[in-house]
Amino acid sequence: MILYDYVLSPSCYKVRLLASLLVAGIDLRPVDFHPGAEHHSPEFRALNPAGTIPVLKDAELVLTESGAILTYLAAVNAHEWLGHDDPEMQARVANWLAFSQRLTASAGAARLHDMLGFSGDIDALRVQATDALRELEAAIHARRRRGGIFLAADRPTIADIACFPYAALAPDGGVSLDSYPSIRLWMRAIRALPGFIEMPGIHRLHEQMPEPGPMPDVVRKESA
Amino acid sequence: MSSIWIPVALSQDILSGMAIPAHLPGHDLVVWRSASGRIAAWHDRCPHRGMRLSHGFVRGDFLSCIYHGWRYGENGHCSKIPAHPDLVPPAAIKVPRFDVREKSSVVWVAPTGQAGEPVDYRGFTGFRSLSVNAPADLIARAVEGEERLAGCSVVLLVQALQGRGCNLHVLAAEGYDTAQLDGLSLAIEVLRRRLEQAVAT
Repeated sequence: MILYDYVLSPSCYKVRLLASLLVAGIDLRPVDFHPGAEHHSPEFRALNPAGTIPVLKDAELVLTESGAILTYLAAVNAHEWLGHDDPEMQARVANWLAFSQRLTASAGAARLHDMLGFSGDIDALRVQATDALRELEAAIHARRRRGGIFLAADRPTIADIACFPYAALAPDGGVSLDSYPSIRLWMRAIRALPGFIEMPGIHRLHEQMPEPGPMPDVVRKESA
Repeated sequence: MSSIWIPVALSQDILSGMAIPAHLPGHDLVVWRSASGRIAAWHDRCPHRGMRLSHGFVRGDFLSCIYHGWRYGENGHCSKIPAHPDLVPPAAIKVPRFDVREKSSVVWVAPTGQAGEPVDYRGFTGFRSLSVNAPADLIARAVEGEERLAGCSVVLLVQALQGRGCNLHVLAAEGYDTAQLDGLSLAIEVLRRRLEQAVAT
């Protein structure tokens, strides 16, 4: 499996993160999204006419939507991440996969505006992002009232991975997460999963890592 | 009745080992809970390079800055600088602290050395905190005397934030079942929409 990837893309990070959580091997093929705009090149358009990333290629299968890529990775590697135990859970996962596009179109677009200078009505985007985050916050609180924390089941599913990156990076687009306590706890639960990996702007839980030992001798000598 | 104690969060939203950002008028705070469960509220600024300590991490009873790992004990004093492991950090390196109390499962903060204690809403427990995009004084006036929502007894605490908005901390009487609390959660969302629309028009 080849993932056409850009390190600063939250949508690509969804795929890298799930692959890591599932211990599924994927080959990364970096795309020079910025500043090279390689995704607009004729070669890339031949692969994905929409000119978007991520793209996952597995033999003849080419997937260009992150929700579909997450679904495929889980179906191949770890069925329980699909959240298909019963019709209700399955529908909930589908709903969150679709919802994640609202986060992309609002918080994600605000982030591209602020970080890479993309055009957009920034005030409107922030209002839309706030609406989406409020909906997410209310839904996670409802899960907490039932003793859970993950969006669609008592365990993490692709629904959580689909929504996590753009929610976590909302501050990059000028949308504060300070007043979203349930989102904070949910993100913490995701960051605590075995196999969790970082992307720039989303760090791991240092407190779960062993305390670093004494510095290597070579560093100590240089600083002395 | 005014109090110097300001509600900044609900106890349930800060687990042991967590640091979160919070706000007082004029101050950004880090509120964090040690592994042993003790809560603390400090300036949200590492004395080293000014990084927000709320991005930091808790190990045991210490809060560490995410930037270079400078580590602070519960008295706010720096106890370790990882890049200089043999150095005992000077006592002058410390983070300013605020007084903090947990009552009725609310985290209250006040400037240090003030007399008095926060109100104890006996029989109530923290339910939800949410932001309202409207000035605190208007919201406080609008919800004053609001004691029932969706059939539940509630206490509504308004916390002013810098700029235009505020946080609403909702306490509910103990003992409601999930269905009642689902109704309360919806009613709070409706209340927020109503308050924001009233301010916008």
